[in-house]
Amino acid sequence: MGSLKQLAYRQNNRIRLLCLASFAKGFAMIGQALFFIWVADAVFLKDASFEEVLPVLGALLAVILMRAGSSYAIGRLGVTLSVEARRGLRRELISSYQENPLQGSIAGQSGRKVGLLLEAVDDTDGYFSKYIPQMIQSYTIPLMLLGVIFYLNWTTGLIILITAPFIPLFMAIVGKRTKQKADEKVEQLAGFSGAFLDVLQGLTTLRLFGQAKRQSDTIRDNSLKFRDSTMDVLKSAFLSSLTLEYISMLSIGIVALEIGLRLVVFDSITFFPAFLVLLLVPDFFNLLKEFGSAFHTARGSAASAELLSEELAKSHQPVVWGESPVNAPIELALEQVSFQYGEGFHLEPASFGLEAGTSTALVGASGSGKSTLMNVMAGLLPAAGGHLLINGIPQEQVSEEAWFGKLAYITQDPYLFAGTVKENIELGMGRGAGQQELAVAAQKAGILELVESLPLGFDTMIGEAGRGLSGGEKQRLVLARAFLKKPSLLFFDEPTAGLDLHTEQVLQRAIEELSKEATVVTIAHRLHTIRNASRIIVLDAGRVEAIGTHEELMDSYSPYRSMIEAQQGGKQAWVN
Amino acid sequence: MGELKTVFWLTLKEKRDVALAVVFGFLAGLAGVALLGASGYLISKAALTAQMTTLVVMAASLKLFGFAAAITRYAERLFSHRATFTMLGHLRGSFFERLAPLAPGIFQRHQSGDLLSRIVGDVESLQNFLLRVLYPPIVVGMVLVATVFFTSFYSLPMALVVLAGAIFVVVILPAFFALRRRKKTHATGATRGAFAAASAEFLYGFKDLKIHLALDRKSVELQETAHRYEQAQKNEGLEENRVQSVNALVAFLASFFVLATGAYFVSTGELSGLYLAMLVMVSLGAFENVGPLAALPAYYEESRIAARRLEEVVGEEPDHNTGAMPMGPLDVRVDRLSYRYPNDLRLSLDEVSFQLPQGSKTAIVGPSGSGKSTLLQLLLKVAEPEGGEIRFGNEALSGMDPENVWERMNIVLQENHFFSGTIESNLRIADEQADAERLREALELVHLGHMELTAPVYEKGRNLSGGEKQRIAMARAFLKGERLWLLDEPFSSVDGITARSIYSELLTRHPQDTFVIISHDLTGLEGMDQILVLENGRLIEQGDYQELMERRGYFYGLKKIEEQVFV
Repeated sequence: MGSLKQLAYRQNNRIRLLCLASFAKGFAMIGQALFFIWVADAVFLKDASFEEVLPVLGALLAVILMRAGSSYAIGRLGVTLSVEARRGLRRELISSYQENPLQGSIAGQSGRKVGLLLEAVDDTDGYFSKYIPQMIQSYTIPLMLLGVIFYLNWTTGLIILITAPFIPLFMAIVGKRTKQKADEKVEQLAGFSGAFLDVLQGLTTLRLFGQAKRQSDTIRDNSLKFRDSTMDVLKSAFLSSLTLEYISMLSIGIVALEIGLRLVVFDSITFFPAFLVLLLVPDFFNLLKEFGSAFHTARGSAASAELLSEELAKSHQPVVWGESPVNAPIELALEQVSFQYGEGFHLEPASFGLEAGTSTALVGASGSGKSTLMNVMAGLLPAAGGHLLINGIPQEQVSEEAWFGKLAYITQDPYLFAGTVKENIELGMGRGAGQQELAVAAQKAGILELVESLPLGFDTMIGEAGRGLSGGEKQRLVLARAFLKKPSLLFFDEPTAGLDLHTEQVLQRAIEELSKEATVVTIAHRLHTIRNASRIIVLDAGRVEAIGTHEELMDSYSPYRSMIEAQQGGKQAWVN
Repeated sequence: MGELKTVFWLTLKEKRDVALAVVFGFLAGLAGVALLGASGYLISKAALTAQMTTLVVMAASLKLFGFAAAITRYAERLFSHRATFTMLGHLRGSFFERLAPLAPGIFQRHQSGDLLSRIVGDVESLQNFLLRVLYPPIVVGMVLVATVFFTSFYSLPMALVVLAGAIFVVVILPAFFALRRRKKTHATGATRGAFAAASAEFLYGFKDLKIHLALDRKSVELQETAHRYEQAQKNEGLEENRVQSVNALVAFLASFFVLATGAYFVSTGELSGLYLAMLVMVSLGAFENVGPLAALPAYYEESRIAARRLEEVVGEEPDHNTGAMPMGPLDVRVDRLSYRYPNDLRLSLDEVSFQLPQGSKTAIVGPSGSGKSTLLQLLLKVAEPEGGEIRFGNEALSGMDPENVWERMNIVLQENHFFSGTIESNLRIADEQADAERLREALELVHLGHMELTAPVYEKGRNLSGGEKQRIAMARAFLKGERLWLLDEPFSSVDGITARSIYSELLTRHPQDTFVIISHDLTGLEGMDQILVLENGRLIEQGDYQELMERRGYFYGLKKIEEQVFV
């Protein structure tokens, strides 16, 4: 929560205005009580005429407006403070995501990160819009009230000074007990509340087995159990506010007794200050109680705040780039290049070269580090050690724009963006393409026919909320991107399954054609691709185990030989 | 209010709790008012006399009313929350009863993940209906009416001022702001959706964006969608603050006018000054409770939208056909069957025709997106075809009751649900009467003989591996014991040797049964009587393994690629 506080105080103008508005509200509260009693005192005890109290009534109206106005200002400041703070958090998160080179490589993290950006940031709202304004009010207004009370009747002030600390004390004790109770029940509650979703998700299965009817009783039953557990927790929460109520009631009672004694028995105080004190004391305790509930809201934000500061504290090691241009053809060389990130993502130092225009196949079991190696070679991940040489120039000196402008990277599961077919294909260019160019690229990727069959052609919306494309169609669309870009270096993760014959053929042809102009690195899943590669790199557990042509490896590297034989043998066994 | 009718009646089902909540809420409000009124009266009285009794009464009544207020407030909260949670239980149950007949077809028409979480969220948000919409105006209104009544004994004009303020705060303001809110939607939902979509795009498409040098541009776009969302949130927050401030102002103004009126009548001698402080304090106390009314318009609108969305979901007509599938083993004939997903331009199935003779074993193969699963959904009557028909024996599927159809099939889908419980409870879904012997037999059939029937299954089967889930789903199908098997990629996560062994066991045990197996894996199809090859929704090849391999067509091509692939 400390980080949230810093974030809030960064908007020091708003904080200052909040203090100002709180002062105004405090004055208005005192004024409201004062003028009300003034009027009552005048007409009741002093027999004043209505005309005489009119100015006081006017003043009362003014402070009422002032009180409403300052409350409005406090609320408004809370909202804007919160929106601004959350905007800042989001901006920071987005730029942290943007700089993190691992972002594109660690699958499964994206969902969590979307959650951080949306829910976690929104969860901090309570802290900024409720807690901060309430805290500032609690630091100012009760002190002002106390000052007035001391001025009017110092003994009352003393009573308050003695009794008031019990409120936060009990709040802490009772709050702790409530939290304990909630923690005890949390699993049970999650179970019951999840039950409804569980049944809904299983509805298809239930229906197919004719079991849906009886479930509505189960749902009711679970809901009632949920109710009973929740009520247990709520009961102790309600009890805690009851306790606070009692404490403040007790204190007010003591004050009233003291005032009463002085008013009736000792005659040492008059109606006016006595009544004023009696009006201000409850206000004082109400503010303390409100602060308690705001504190509760703030604690709700704490878990999310923790997640956010954890994410923001992560240090990234961005890939460093320089200014040198990159000219085709491209030749790559790795000199003792290694990589390490947490568990699972690691590469031992590897050295090899890729001559311009050659094709290289990366082979290995899943988890052997093929993708990691390819990402390092593409400059998407920073090497932990060694050098990546691009046409002999260290990668750090090469211009990022020039480099990515020259390469294409085709994954197994390509991502299409919400937009038109045209926009998705043009993504590779960074500029608009002519109709002719576009049609040629689409035609080479074997998708022109499909696109032209659509009523809006290249202007058809795809991606999120757009027309759905099959896996094969997506692959071909991404190929069209590559054809438009005319890369000098092509990274390709060969699809393993589920493509139609047409796409398979197009892919084969396309890779061949693109290979004519480019240096190609493929994570190979096809025997055909492996055989045709100028060089094969075999990986195992993050280590380059062997490099050579198919024939060389078959001759000299027995794990490769047995891998190939097992693959063919396995398939043979199936067929028979 | 029309949309909220169902919720309203379900809430009233809990008569006792609702009534008790209202009574205690009213008493709590009254006690608060009495507390302030008494203190106002007694201090005025004390100013005039020097009787010790006044002091004693003053202290005692302050304590009495204070404690009464706190205790009744506690009881009110308890009963109102109880009523709310009970209502939620009824709501879930009754909603489920209406949803169940529409499933699974309804999931076909909506994106099901989205639909389910929305349903759960909407039901949850309706808990605010009683607590923050229905109940506060009733309680606050009752307290204010009682205050008007009390005040009228002392001064009719002052009572009228309180009444005017009450009408303003309880009726006019909430109605005005609710109306205003409905007219001017803040688009928070829509902008949030856009922001979520943009975030997902940025993060999931990160690599492509980076390589295509579009990352900076996208990041700016993402900031912009975030900004629009925040702006909408801000507008909503500001509106809420405005409602709250206006509410509070009106309450203060009401007390102000009570004071002004009172002061006037005291000065003219029509009201004893002794009561002035009391009456003003009473009105202050009564209007102190109006705070919750400020939130009413927002919660009302939220409840209304949630209720409307829920109604929309279950508003669809279920399949009312009552025809039954003929008894005994059946031929299945599929004739020129076509299907198009809602809002899709192209057909997902395009005039597909074939036959499944009784006792035949058929495989449906094809690349992803070729229409295999769509075909299965039509066979299950989960979706209605756009053209063509399916006949079981001599009866058209279109006239049958879907439940009756499912009752007669052993079905394994790609996604099968597992409930938290035990292996046994999850198997018994298929056959309640089965004895332990039979359940064990089913487990052994799918090579899970080592599993205990009493072994726990967590929600969604998250303690089971993908392969185990698929095999338990197959065991369920086996336990069902019907003659027609529809299996959609039942063993995609099971290793080939086990899968083959289970298949051959199944086929030898049930030589008379009709099997339809969807598979994207082309191995192990040699024993099938016929293989249907789909591409782009069309049936492009048909025949047994031998025939298709000899034809050297599409199937042969796919087979060649498969032989090439290392995984």
